[in-house]
Amino acid sequence: MTTNEIINPANLVYAKTKVLNDTPMHYCPGCSHGVVHKLIAEIIDEMDFQDKTIGIAPVGCAVFAYKYLDIDWQQAAHGRAPAVATAVKRLLPDRLVFTYQGDGDLAAIGTAETIHAANRGENIAIIFINNGIYGMTGGQMAPTTLEKMKTATTPNGRNIALNGYPLNITNLLAQLEGTCYVTRQSVHTVATVRKAKKAIQKAFENSMAGKGTSVVEIVSTCNSGWKLSPAASNDWMVENMFPAYPLGDLKNL
Amino acid sequence: MNNSKKHTGEEVRLMKGNEAIAHAAIRSGCDGYFGYPITPQSEIMETLMELEPWNSTGMVVLQVESETASINMVYGAAGCGKKSMTSSSSPGISLMQEGMSYIACAELPCVVVNVMRGGPGLGTIQPSQADYYQSVKGGGHGDYKLITLAPASVQEMADHTVMAFDLAFKYSTPALILADGVIGQMMEKVVLPPFQPRMTEAEIREKCPWATLGKTADRKPNIITSLSLQAEEMETINLRLQKKYREIEKNEVLFEEFSCEDAEYLVIAFGTSARVCQKAVELARAEGIKAGLLRPITLYPFPTDAISSFADKTKGMLTVEMSAGQMVDDVRLAVNGRVPVEFYGRLGGIVPSPDEVLEVLKTKVVKL
Repeated sequence: MTTNEIINPANLVYAKTKVLNDTPMHYCPGCSHGVVHKLIAEIIDEMDFQDKTIGIAPVGCAVFAYKYLDIDWQQAAHGRAPAVATAVKRLLPDRLVFTYQGDGDLAAIGTAETIHAANRGENIAIIFINNGIYGMTGGQMAPTTLEKMKTATTPNGRNIALNGYPLNITNLLAQLEGTCYVTRQSVHTVATVRKAKKAIQKAFENSMAGKGTSVVEIVSTCNSGWKLSPAASNDWMVENMFPAYPLGDLKNL
Repeated sequence: MNNSKKHTGEEVRLMKGNEAIAHAAIRSGCDGYFGYPITPQSEIMETLMELEPWNSTGMVVLQVESETASINMVYGAAGCGKKSMTSSSSPGISLMQEGMSYIACAELPCVVVNVMRGGPGLGTIQPSQADYYQSVKGGGHGDYKLITLAPASVQEMADHTVMAFDLAFKYSTPALILADGVIGQMMEKVVLPPFQPRMTEAEIREKCPWATLGKTADRKPNIITSLSLQAEEMETINLRLQKKYREIEKNEVLFEEFSCEDAEYLVIAFGTSARVCQKAVELARAEGIKAGLLRPITLYPFPTDAISSFADKTKGMLTVEMSAGQMVDDVRLAVNGRVPVEFYGRLGGIVPSPDEVLEVLKTKVVKL
């Protein structure tokens, strides 16, 4: 096959979704955010929902999510995305409303808003990026940081006596009557990317069907924060993060 | 069959200030109320829940987990161009300050009601005016202002609700109704405002082209944010805000004068203190003291020029507040030393009596 044949539109089997724009991403090479952004953009495109979607961006690395997906966005105060999403969805019930939050945003400062939005069964989708570290501020301990894991604020590793236990908030959310779908995914292989896409799509469809709150946790890498290469980060995640945060559906009603 | 009169007539009702706010909110075409109970303003949400506006106008009323959630829901609703509001009392308003700073910077219209109680801390549930600084000097972080209305009657609780929404949308900025526990709890006659329909989505798209209603093919994505990491960009945003505040200061000052035409002594007070001071001025006049009352209705923008104009016409001024003296700073700035400005205040939830004010007026200002 010649180059010209390859780039012939008739032979294209894959294209960048129109919902994802051409703004260069600020994410570090190897970070999971870029893949998850692409999946969300593809799903919105496939659902033909570009004009019906309002995304709620967090504070953290994904604060600039609004720069990359060509949909309407609101950037919430740290941890308050589920509160903002609650109001948007209640006032625009026929729109798709999702939050995109990291572990610090969702499971530390925003725990109350997360639990109560889910407990009210708000018809929103929560995309939860769990990489066990605060990326944006330079690699401090997150609520989901593993025991003995080194961060900028746990230089000798997370000490349970001092710092408490890693918070498995997704398991907590699965216990709430208001959630209809709670799942844990990853995006480190082609197969897991495909699974994660199906999960996010299901979460979005649930929201539009009025079934309650859907939570998709993506166990993610932060190679800059973890101080590992992208490839080594994937291995470290499989070895250390997955035992604490096992992949799969926790609830699927 | 008097139902239509119930909704449109100029009927006089007797109700609490808090209840008047709830009725007026529905009649303003409010789309969403988000709140958390706190004394002395809980009747606002209770009345809304009893009136069930979701069955009539479609207004959403939600009791939520905290004041932090409330104000961020207001942010979300306002970002969609919806008329949204919350209410609380002093400690709850403190919790909302981060959100109010975000809303001011994102330039979203909304209404916040503070029915003040005595502080600091958990304080008391009795009325106070000690949140003046917090309301007009910032409260949250950064250089921003809140349009601040100070109702002094149940009628004004209703009227200011309508006015606050109008001003908030006119300037795309949050408006605060700064009442106190007396105005919230007392019952008075009130004529409720006429019903306005809620804005349709077409009207929102026209009036608030920035609203996040879903990106249509004919425009770029709408993004509600207060973030700008480039200092130069952030300065530009700040300068835009400051320009808007100068416009507000030029156009929206409201105050009321009582017996001021020939006044030799001017009393300045807002809200409940103004009601007390009006009586004190009447008592002073009965004793032959030429006293007058200037009542700021907008605390921001402050009636600086009006107060300044009295500096050369009066022999002394007295500011009365239910606080340790906060608005008095702005009165002194307005007159800039041209006339002595005395202060009298009661703290922690005590309402001063007209006799107390008269005594202070006589001994500290008139110096009989």
